[in-house]
Amino acid sequence: MTSTTSHTAPVSPDAPNVRDSLTGRLLVTFVRVARHAGLPVVIALIVGAIVLSVTGYDAFNVYGSLTTEAFGSASRINATLAAATPLLFTGIAAAFAYRAGVFTVGVEGSFVLGGLTAAVLGANMGGLPPALAITIPLLGAAVAGTLVALIPAILRAFWAVDEVVTTLMFNFIVIGLAGWSVQAFFQQRGQANSATAYVSDSAVLPALAPPGQVNWALVIGLALLIGYAVWMRYSTLGFEFRAVGSAPRFSIAQGLRVRNVLLLALLGAGLIGGLGGGTHALGIVGRYSAGFSASFGFTGIAIALLARFNPIGILVGAILFGALNSAGATVQLFINLPVQLIDILEGTVMVLAVATFIVPAWWKRRATRSRGGKA
Amino acid sequence: MIDDLIASALALTVPIALAALGGAIHRRSGIVNIGLDSHMLTGAFIGALISGLFGSWILGAIAGMLAGGVTGLIMSLLITRLKGNEIIVGLGFNIVTLGAIGYLLRAVFGVSGTLQVPGLQRLPALDIPGIDKVPVLGAILSGQTPLFWVCVLLVPVLAWSLRNTAWGIRLRATGASEPAATSLGLRTLRIRDSAGILAGALAGLGGVALSLGAVGLFNENMTAGRGYVALAAFYFGRSRPLPTALACVLFGFFDALQIQLQTVGGFSPDIIGTLPYIAVVLVLALTGVREYRRSARKVS
Repeated sequence: MTSTTSHTAPVSPDAPNVRDSLTGRLLVTFVRVARHAGLPVVIALIVGAIVLSVTGYDAFNVYGSLTTEAFGSASRINATLAAATPLLFTGIAAAFAYRAGVFTVGVEGSFVLGGLTAAVLGANMGGLPPALAITIPLLGAAVAGTLVALIPAILRAFWAVDEVVTTLMFNFIVIGLAGWSVQAFFQQRGQANSATAYVSDSAVLPALAPPGQVNWALVIGLALLIGYAVWMRYSTLGFEFRAVGSAPRFSIAQGLRVRNVLLLALLGAGLIGGLGGGTHALGIVGRYSAGFSASFGFTGIAIALLARFNPIGILVGAILFGALNSAGATVQLFINLPVQLIDILEGTVMVLAVATFIVPAWWKRRATRSRGGKA
Repeated sequence: MIDDLIASALALTVPIALAALGGAIHRRSGIVNIGLDSHMLTGAFIGALISGLFGSWILGAIAGMLAGGVTGLIMSLLITRLKGNEIIVGLGFNIVTLGAIGYLLRAVFGVSGTLQVPGLQRLPALDIPGIDKVPVLGAILSGQTPLFWVCVLLVPVLAWSLRNTAWGIRLRATGASEPAATSLGLRTLRIRDSAGILAGALAGLGGVALSLGAVGLFNENMTAGRGYVALAAFYFGRSRPLPTALACVLFGFFDALQIQLQTVGGFSPDIIGTLPYIAVVLVLALTGVREYRRSARKVS
């Protein structure tokens, strides 16, 4: 009989940053982000370069055009930020749960159902003023995202059922249900592929710099990020999350509300993921269609891990992966490069984000010897 | 009608069952293999290529199995030696493999998504004279591919090896408690690597059953999440070979039913596609509640 293993979050956050000055604190943060994310990104780029060289591309040339396509002009930066927006939401969602040591992989499902809910509600907001026409679908998306996480959350908090597998399974259940409900109820007539109707004009999240795609979703995402940073650092609940995440048994012994923390961690991740899906539907896509989420939930996991749940790291990671996505989509038009290169890079970064790079034994020996010599 | 359903259900079972048996062994060693999909895809791709190159399904199957084993080893090394979290490594591995194969198809073979390998030899159907005329039994036993019989053989072989061989006992000890196994001098990392190779190889063989099976071509989306169905199956079967294989038969039956109903209409394939996952959540919930009750009683 197999014993039930319980998983904890794959990496643990850094110790709280105690510098006094804001600049000092920022500096420490950036050094930490670079330390955790640097090696995986560099190795992934090397892997990508090898793949490119073997298949007859000039790696430097390709990386050069990827960079120009991502950040080369105002309109390209706009596209990169638009691509980064959904990742910002899913990254925050994953980090929120992982802080408490809860290992959810269900943000993808919340994102999808949130997007579907917002698209369906948004298509029926014809006569309402924009403030309401946007708020109602987004609220619906948040509720839908939370509902996706509800059963895994209850199972985890009350009966200690491993949340990794249940949340993973719920992704597939939700994607199947969403596909079915679109075909059965919400399909727009006259469209071959299964998609809902476009949302009403008043429900569209306004662009920040038209004709670019960046819209108010980015503002909502940034506000959420700041809220996450403040909450994590200054609130009691944020402290409890950290305590439960780093020492669950100790937290039980100390009388912390472990069950509440577990419930809130999973439901909160679902809520943020659902909101992300909602803003994606109202801001970028304008409707729900098959393949609505390009694995945003899973990329968000990679971002949260690379950042070690640090807010600034999440922002940097979201922009980095957003740049890859937006540049990858356009660069294939210029240099006939298969867009799948981006998947290779992203997947490699994700795998290496959780790998511990062992310092070779001879190096460690030398380090201790020299330290011993000095002392 | 019923014969068609049985035959197609079993044909759909084979790829999932091979992968799920591998995943079950890996799970018994203590690792949840989320990357089964990537091993299947690799096996399907290499199997199709080699079968086309030599015009031999046997060589194709062996090559697909070896290729799956290699990806299984790489993934296992990342988990055991670099201490990567198994779930994240598995998810990432699926993304990398899908990307790498999609990239190769476009950059080297110049096709988008589907690869028709010239000279590819499909898996033969083994008709058993006499039995093939018997109604239900004929549909079960006759006209199956060799990989079906590999699968049927594997179930007792794996169950027996887990129970009786030194490797099986050490593997289960590693899964039951890694620190205890290490303290007894077992090379737990190496044992887990061997389970990872086996999982990859069997999943690769499952991929071969897809690409050299009914259609005889390779498509980058041909696994269609079957690695995750296999994951569901070994969770459903609690990582024991026979229950896992039976769970695969059940899921294969869902799959066949969905295809049959698609032609008739009325039922949504999306809904039937979610049944394996719903089943797993139910099983996990039930066993979780039961175990929780039991352990709670022990404490008080």
